[in-house]
Amino acid sequence: MLTVDGLDAGYGDLQVLHDIDLEVDSDEYVAIVGPNGAGKSTVMKSVFGLTTYMGGSVEFQSREISGRRPEEIITHSIGYVPQNDNVFPSLSVRENLEMGAYILDEVPEDALEDVFDRFPILRERQDQTAGSMSGGQQQMVAMGRALMLEPDLLLLDEPSAGLAPDLVSDMFDRVDAINDDGTAVLIVEQNAKETLGRCDRGYVLVGGENRYEDDGDALLGDEQVRRDFLGG
Amino acid sequence: MGDTTEFTWEQWFGVLLLAGVGVLILDVLRRLVVGDLGVSTFSTFLWRGLVDGLIIGLAAVGLSMTYSILRFANFSHGDLVTTGAFTGWTAAWLIGGAGVTGLGSRLLLNADGSTSARELNLHVYAEPVAIVAGLVIAAAATVLVALAIDKLVYKRMRDAGGIPLLIASVGVALALRYVIVFFYGERTRGIVRSSPSIDHSLLFWTDSLVVHELVMVVSAVSLMLGLHGLLQYTKLGTAMRAMADNKDLALITGIPTERVILATWVIGAGLTGVAGYLIVLEQETLNFNTGWFLLLLIFAAVILGGIGSIYGAIAGGLIIGLADNMMLVWISGDLTRVAAFLLMILIFIFRPQGLFGGVETA
Repeated sequence: MLTVDGLDAGYGDLQVLHDIDLEVDSDEYVAIVGPNGAGKSTVMKSVFGLTTYMGGSVEFQSREISGRRPEEIITHSIGYVPQNDNVFPSLSVRENLEMGAYILDEVPEDALEDVFDRFPILRERQDQTAGSMSGGQQQMVAMGRALMLEPDLLLLDEPSAGLAPDLVSDMFDRVDAINDDGTAVLIVEQNAKETLGRCDRGYVLVGGENRYEDDGDALLGDEQVRRDFLGG
Repeated sequence: MGDTTEFTWEQWFGVLLLAGVGVLILDVLRRLVVGDLGVSTFSTFLWRGLVDGLIIGLAAVGLSMTYSILRFANFSHGDLVTTGAFTGWTAAWLIGGAGVTGLGSRLLLNADGSTSARELNLHVYAEPVAIVAGLVIAAAATVLVALAIDKLVYKRMRDAGGIPLLIASVGVALALRYVIVFFYGERTRGIVRSSPSIDHSLLFWTDSLVVHELVMVVSAVSLMLGLHGLLQYTKLGTAMRAMADNKDLALITGIPTERVILATWVIGAGLTGVAGYLIVLEQETLNFNTGWFLLLLIFAAVILGGIGSIYGAIAGGLIIGLADNMMLVWISGDLTRVAAFLLMILIFIFRPQGLFGGVETA
């Protein structure tokens, strides 16, 4: 469904990614792990049109989307949850979700209901401002917003960052559930062990290049990968 | 806030400040009861404070809106106020003065000194149509001027940052002001006839109520309520608040940011033009510095309320206007503005981010 082929990208004149290949099939759950500064988030931003495109191709559902702007890519059924500042703090939870469907003429009530069913706390607190909620709840608001257009592919940038340890596995359960319901997931994570244990396939990114690609469990089992990137 | 023992000194200062204001209010009540302060004098002060506060607030809303969306302090805002005043009143003179005096002197608002406000006899009872038409034109013309300036100047520097944009806006302010001087000249002219009054004392216990002030208050309050409705209950308003919160996130959410910026200029400049027009209705005279001189008070209101907050701008305007007038109870007129700004400084000591800063709202 998503095919990244030989992608070069970066910011302005600075090239961060070199010849990246990556694939996500429909319904698949794919993780990108790797050390800090490896360009993990940049891959995701490049898919969503937020970086400077420098070569290669990004194809989504047989359509070339490299070099397109985010406001166009969002119409192609890709949802994106950035790592930081991913909610509108002064807007209510409900308004945050409604903004997720801004490009539609009407608020899609069934998508909104689905999000509320998925994250019941959001239904309960729909009139509260997003900025007044806890980090974990804000992460739910951000995911809910990205799900409002019922995307075929959801891009998640470090959803566990900044969460209290006891909330992390709950968050991963929710990502599993989203994937089980038929949305392909591409996730970037620091928390490599947890992610690789759950995903279908993983990529290890080092220095802006693909280093390893395999099943999540296989990567976890690979001694080289464990030693170099997963801290033992 | 927690226990009193955990108060920071800023919080103590805030408590003292509130206590001080409380003492002043009690003193006003005492004076009213004892008879040191006539009820009608008191309500005149209060009413004047409300009038001044609402007009400053209305003018400040536009500045706060452009700040919250475009992230720069627009120094040409005062001259947008002036633009609204000149364009609106030109329209009102063209309509209301037809047949009284020549087209040329009406078109340039009596730049040649050949007529007078007395001759035109423009007030709300005599020429209601002209006054309302002028109000609409003031909004429309100011919107057009603001959009033209955005396209010519600000749009090219959208991501240049706050300081370059601020400097550019100072240039725009001067250019706009002297374009106005070029056409209308530097003379201060009478524009509106003295307002008729309502001679009963239903509203506030003054002997009479100045109709033009009433028109101003009603217009300002309705526009503010309308803006509140737009911001809170429409998709566009929600998008404006979203963009004020986080422009990057708005972009990746699919909010058409340039269209929101356009709407911000339209609404902000429209309100600003109306404010300029209404100021003249109330003060009856106009010159090319009218808006520029007001800019200090507008900035004071905006910063007091928390820069970027629209409700803060309204609250800030009311505080400045009310303080400026209510201080007449204790001190002479020359010093009231000093007192108003002193109050502003005191509020900053305990809330540097402004009253509504960092709370919510666009």
